Amino acid sequence: MNDAFAAAQAALVDSLVAGAAVPAGFDDVRLATVRRALLRKRSGEIARTWPLLAAAHGHDWSAIVAAHLDGVAPKGSLRDGWDVARALRAAGTLPSPAAEELASREAGRRYDGASAPTRRRMPAVRRGGGALFVYVGGRTLRLRGLAG
Amino acid sequence: MADLYGTGVGWRPEIAGVVADLPELGFCEVIAESVDPAAPPRGVVELRDRGVPVVPHGVRLSLGSADGLDRDRAEHLAACAAALGAPLVSEHVSFTRVAGRDAGHLLPVPRTRQALDVLVANVTATQGLLDVPLALEPIAALFDWPGEEFTEAEFLTRLLDRTGALLLLDVANVHANALNRGADPRAVLDALPLDRVAYVHVAGGSEHAGDAAHGDPGVYHDTHTDAVPAEVLALLEELCDRSRPRAVMLERDGHYPPAAELADEFTTIARTARLARAPR
Repeated sequence: MNDAFAAAQAALVDSLVAGAAVPAGFDDVRLATVRRALLRKRSGEIARTWPLLAAAHGHDWSAIVAAHLDGVAPKGSLRDGWDVARALRAAGTLPSPAAEELASREAGRRYDGASAPTRRRMPAVRRGGGALFVYVGGRTLRLRGLAG
Repeated sequence: MADLYGTGVGWRPEIAGVVADLPELGFCEVIAESVDPAAPPRGVVELRDRGVPVVPHGVRLSLGSADGLDRDRAEHLAACAAALGAPLVSEHVSFTRVAGRDAGHLLPVPRTRQALDVLVANVTATQGLLDVPLALEPIAALFDWPGEEFTEAEFLTRLLDRTGALLLLDVANVHANALNRGADPRAVLDALPLDRVAYVHVAGGSEHAGDAAHGDPGVYHDTHTDAVPAEVLALLEELCDRSRPRAVMLERDGHYPPAAELADEFTTIARTARLARAPR
């Protein structure tokens, strides 16, 4: 009997964070307000996990997150931010400090974009924002800055 | 009833120094999901060692989930209480997760018999894992479910009666819900089971003018990142006129003001609620 109730709760969550239609009977204007509020909250949470990515965008950060993640189900701030950073890098618009932050993460962890990132077992090297990151022996070392 | 007195504050790492320096601190609350029971934050442990009661406050237990309780999370809440020697714990009348989905936010449950049964089952199961009382907080919600069978006060009274849980009353939530529905918050206070109040939350919020562009005029957001508005303090006074709570606390979750401003807000709340220093 609770299956139908659980399905109703799932439909509500999907409409708020995963781009699904507003379920029948709800105030769609208010749900849209909640959807935007949740995106703002999400951008704040991602900013704590990806401080350089957020700081590089200043006041535009919430709008950047909304542009990339509106209607995309939350996967936790680590993956949400990772996805935004990669999309910006692919578009050629990832600012330098944020590129360093991304390279530093990618040196130490493998992330396939579909499941939780895992710590690498083998050494790896990643370059970003003019810095070089070497992951070896369970630690990520920043080998070279912009000044060389 | 629960052993809380005086004026408290939600402990957050960003304001640990300010909280530790408050001269009349009666108790504090800590977000349960931010606590590792094996190694609680040092600032919280120091307060507890000074004799300041610490209340673990859960935000992700999702007691309103129709697909049942996440037992690991309930056990975590119980472990936090044990690790901190807490006099009680608190959570929300809400759901955040269901069927593998996570809204990342407290969402309202429908005020129906069916949802009441779900909450009673999940609350009772949680209480079975706890050695201390559980207080339940009604949330601020911008919308309601269709087909509801109870008012919030009726729903809450039934929930507390059936579970024996205490009430964590957030006057800012009462203000927000009433304002966003064109209701009188004082009438809501009159209907709530105030004899079940363990402690009271006070928090800031803001009117969100930007949403008027989308056809929603004057939505009040319970942000916890703004100053406490005069209307919320006035509602705290209204509450005290009806049933004076023994413990009231300030919740602030971001955009932290300078220390003096936060301390002033704390003092204003203590004065408004007519709370003296905690008896120890």
